[in-house]
Amino acid sequence: MDLLAGVISVVVCLIGAGLAIAMGAVIPGIERKVQARIQQRIGPPILTPGFWSWLKFAYKWPIKPWATIPRFYESIIALGVVIVIFALLITLPPFWGVLGVASILGIAGLLKLEELIYVLAGSVSQSLLSVPFLRHDLAKGGTKLGFRREYFEQQAAFRALKMAAICSIPLYIALAVPFAVAKSPFIADVISIQNPAFFLGGILPLPSKPIFLTVPGFIATIVYFAGYVMLLNEKPFNIVKPKVDLIEGVFLEYAAKYRTYMYMLIHIFTFVLSSIFVTLFLGIPLDPTKPALLALHLALTLPLPVLKAVLAAFSPVLTFRQLYPASMGFTALAAFSLVLALIL
Amino acid sequence: MTEEQPRESVIVEKELPLGPVHPALLEPFRVRFFVNDEIVEDCEVILSMPHRGIERILEGLPVERALLITERVCGICSNSHAWNSVRVIEKGLNIEVPPRALFIRVIAQELQRIASHLIFIGHAMEVVGHETFAMRAFLLREEYMDMLYFIGGNRVHPAVPVIGGVRPRCEISDSLKRVILETLERSERKLRNYVGRVVADPLVMGRLTGVGYLSKEDAIRLHAVGPTARASGVEWDWRMEMFEYKPFTYDYVILYEGDNKARVIARALEIFECIKIVRQALKDLPEGPVVNRDWSPQRMKFTDSYNEAPRGELYHSYSLDDYGKLRHYKIRTPTITSIHSVEFAAKGDHVTDAVVTIASCDPCLACCNRVEIIDEKSGRRRQFTSMIEVIKKYGWRR
Repeated sequence: MDLLAGVISVVVCLIGAGLAIAMGAVIPGIERKVQARIQQRIGPPILTPGFWSWLKFAYKWPIKPWATIPRFYESIIALGVVIVIFALLITLPPFWGVLGVASILGIAGLLKLEELIYVLAGSVSQSLLSVPFLRHDLAKGGTKLGFRREYFEQQAAFRALKMAAICSIPLYIALAVPFAVAKSPFIADVISIQNPAFFLGGILPLPSKPIFLTVPGFIATIVYFAGYVMLLNEKPFNIVKPKVDLIEGVFLEYAAKYRTYMYMLIHIFTFVLSSIFVTLFLGIPLDPTKPALLALHLALTLPLPVLKAVLAAFSPVLTFRQLYPASMGFTALAAFSLVLALIL
Repeated sequence: MTEEQPRESVIVEKELPLGPVHPALLEPFRVRFFVNDEIVEDCEVILSMPHRGIERILEGLPVERALLITERVCGICSNSHAWNSVRVIEKGLNIEVPPRALFIRVIAQELQRIASHLIFIGHAMEVVGHETFAMRAFLLREEYMDMLYFIGGNRVHPAVPVIGGVRPRCEISDSLKRVILETLERSERKLRNYVGRVVADPLVMGRLTGVGYLSKEDAIRLHAVGPTARASGVEWDWRMEMFEYKPFTYDYVILYEGDNKARVIARALEIFECIKIVRQALKDLPEGPVVNRDWSPQRMKFTDSYNEAPRGELYHSYSLDDYGKLRHYKIRTPTITSIHSVEFAAKGDHVTDAVVTIASCDPCLACCNRVEIIDEKSGRRRQFTSMIEVIKKYGWRR
């Protein structure tokens, strides 16, 4: 019986990981389509920015990234994909029984690890676009010589560190709000106060008291969305990879199959963060054993990426001059919602 | 930074070099930011990547053929170069230009100025990171490119001016006049809506306001020209001096803020003044011929002409030999003088903002590059405006 339960858990996890990959392949296309429509363009076909671009880069001639620790740089991006998928898996019901993993500590820890990957990847990468051109500059009239030249990725790693240290704080506080409402660090308890029917079985157990519809939950949702955009480095919070100066930021040197991993990381991460939101704030977990609930969950993961696309279409890139006050504002808002959640 | 500027002793942590191949730089040039953390302490713009030797190509050509080349100096303000090129010979040989031709030249020039300013606004929004505003600017520009096409038969190089007037195909008929006026009416409404939205956007304005400050004194000292200078309070526009613009009533856009916002707004407001000029020119378009063929190439002493191109002061000069062939053609485009002012203005800002500041002078590099020779022993440098000077000094293929 235990063996059967174990097999079912493994199958559920595999389906969950497959769904994350499948949704990750589709969501960027939806985002691009939304942005294109706002900009009065047709936009690419839905599967092109996700699925087909993964496939395209996977089949490109393999170019070794230029990095100080090449193996580390190559493997860290694949590790990132594994981490985001694992961040999703711990929100799946089979993991709820594993003490300490299916909790706010597990989610926050994995998300923080993901942020650390940006810093590590940037720190060891040295793109061709910013290699020293000493003689070239001299020949063309450059008068200032002898300065230490910074690689784009390493400058981006500094920025990623700042983002991880300061700008992503609101997300983690907002993430704590459902757990504060449940007065428990475990995901199972967060689900049980919102959706008691889930534990009773049934085809489509809907939540009776979603945290999203409470005052602290609604405020935390707004902050979570801002943190979601910050964590995904999307406009207006994409200072880690603004095209205008650092181009692709920490991921600049990834090409061919490594670029596929990079796209997979970003695209799957978009879905995973949406899925965590639906699980924690709406009380609808990703459960492959309940197809109707699963369909509802997948449908509800779409509004956040769509809103992100709308925000990106109407936003410029913000620099740290605007990011620090914005982060402080969102932190204050998140702290307020956390206090409300503890009081109410 | 030019040598005459006061040097402050700051410890620079590192250099962040951008270009010559970089997505933010539409043309090949190199920007070196010397930064502490993210703050630009110093900046150096290196040009001379796409030198084309235009002046060398022009040397010895028959003056009529010069137009084919001068119009191709720039793809954005092609009409300014073509017009200024013919103004030189018209001034030097006292060629009379029919009034109708003068008006048509002004119309083409102002339509191209609008198209150029819209490119700038689109590029500025792209550098700020606002894709939607950038794309909308390029969409709005299409109508002006179409109008240039209706007049000249070509969107990018309409080839309107010829020596003594305009090309006969550029005659503006009554029906074309009506089409242009209707298009202006429609596009002006859209433009007002667009500019209003850009100005009302707090995020975009937050990126532009108070960034890249250039005082009036610095703008004059560093030879900023055109809207870049006018956004810092410099009350100068070559159109004030040009007799072609005397019949028209319009305002010069002078702003005093001197930041990136002012440089964007100055160009946006200039668009409406351009529309005003085009409307008046169409309304009061004189009757008569469009070209005066009564001239012949002959010896002409060194003559120069200034014109207000979309980016500012444009200088053309040349002389003609006994056979009417071009000698010593020199061109100075606005970017080569304005770029150093924004190089100075970029200091003290965040790197990402500094790129916007560099873009805020509307740099057009392919048309401004000249050869520079540096003597390694003495450290002396000399900027050559034409290849012929290089050849004269150093010999052929040296």
